[in-house]
Amino acid sequence: MTRRLSILAAIVIVAGFAIYWWLTMPVVIAASALPARTPDLANGRTAFNIGGCASCHATPNQPDRTKLGGGLPLSTPFGAFHVPNISPDPKDGIGGWSEAQFVTAVMEGVSPHGAHFFPAFPYPSYHRARLADIRDMFAYIRTLSPVSGRAPDHDIAFPYNIRRNVGIWKWLFMERRPFADVAGQSPQWNRGAYLVNTLGHCAECHSPRNALGGIIAAQRFAGGPNPEGKGWVPNITQKNLGDWSEKDIAYFLESGLTPDGDSAGGSMASVIKNTAQLSAEDRAAMAVYLKSLPPVDGPPRVRARPSN
Amino acid sequence: MKRIFVTMAAVLLGAGAVFAQQDIVNQRQTEMKNNAKNLGGVLVAMVKGEKPYDQAAVDAALGVLVANAKVLSTQFPDSTKGLRSGDKYSASPKIWENRADFESHLASFAKVVNEAKASVKDLDTLKATVPLIGKQCANCHETYRLKDG
Repeated sequence: MTRRLSILAAIVIVAGFAIYWWLTMPVVIAASALPARTPDLANGRTAFNIGGCASCHATPNQPDRTKLGGGLPLSTPFGAFHVPNISPDPKDGIGGWSEAQFVTAVMEGVSPHGAHFFPAFPYPSYHRARLADIRDMFAYIRTLSPVSGRAPDHDIAFPYNIRRNVGIWKWLFMERRPFADVAGQSPQWNRGAYLVNTLGHCAECHSPRNALGGIIAAQRFAGGPNPEGKGWVPNITQKNLGDWSEKDIAYFLESGLTPDGDSAGGSMASVIKNTAQLSAEDRAAMAVYLKSLPPVDGPPRVRARPSN
Repeated sequence: MKRIFVTMAAVLLGAGAVFAQQDIVNQRQTEMKNNAKNLGGVLVAMVKGEKPYDQAAVDAALGVLVANAKVLSTQFPDSTKGLRSGDKYSASPKIWENRADFESHLASFAKVVNEAKASVKDLDTLKATVPLIGKQCANCHETYRLKDG
């Protein structure tokens, strides 16, 4: 009896572990899955700008957005992430990466060593972008100057520091459906929806998250506590932006100035440096899409006394 | 009795000093809002075509920005570190930890608004200039302004 029970227990444990292993298996995109393509560097620059790569990866405390040496610390409820070097440096950056490795990293959140990246890197949004845009982004980044130096390792608390577990997180929270144009909406609206939801990854900050760090889908874009710590990220549905016109939104993305003359601050100031580089048409498209978001109540705002 | 007087006087003096510091916070807060009013209500409104271009109004609005830029650097004395405005935003303690960098932002803002005052002559130059001013605001607010709550 005891023997049978222990055999059963062993089977359950092995099966459980096999299921865990299978669920958490990193997805890798093979080079053979990439059709021939001549890179479009101008499109790659647009993808780089709307993707906001420089906001996190540019070397801090210097003005050049194309020096992607990394090193910025991001403090989150799960610990401190240190943004890596993605400059084309062959030793410290991604100079030694193949195109397929880059596409796998950005669209699947998997490193060239086959490990999961933590979703502080907004690949759940990038996953839905068009393959061609990510490939052009790679080609563009390869034209930038190499920067040497590596960021320190992440300092993440147990059990979040086990990368294999990120596979479960992806299974639970990562939207696998690629972006598709919505029939009946204008090309401008669809362009805006694409930029906002994929490369622009606006929802990554402008949505509340659950205890495991997954976006609460019903309150997408409705704002919430700042994932980087202090303060509150505003609701960008019509609940909060009802009195902003499309022009107001587009102009904010260009100048960082709100309709009442207030300015963007904190991380949004950095985002404006990206959106200011886009074409006026792309900013207008984002505004049209954002203006169309139905009003949604965000989580109740806790007005805690701010600490220093 | 005497001791009570002395203590009371000391408390009142201390409180007076705090009030004076709070006055500085309130004053800079008012100036910032005044900047916003002139940017949003005048300059941005003209850029968006909500108001007709009016050179006199442009000069007046830019004049307010230039005047405020001149006094801003005196309005963040060490004694106001950590004081809250009680409003939407407060000054980050980083201002006092990184004073030289903060001052360079103020100087850059002053330079841009002075150049704007000299160069904006029509709607096209205004359109080209306002985003440059917005950039100055955002560059400094990125690091040195805290959003409360």
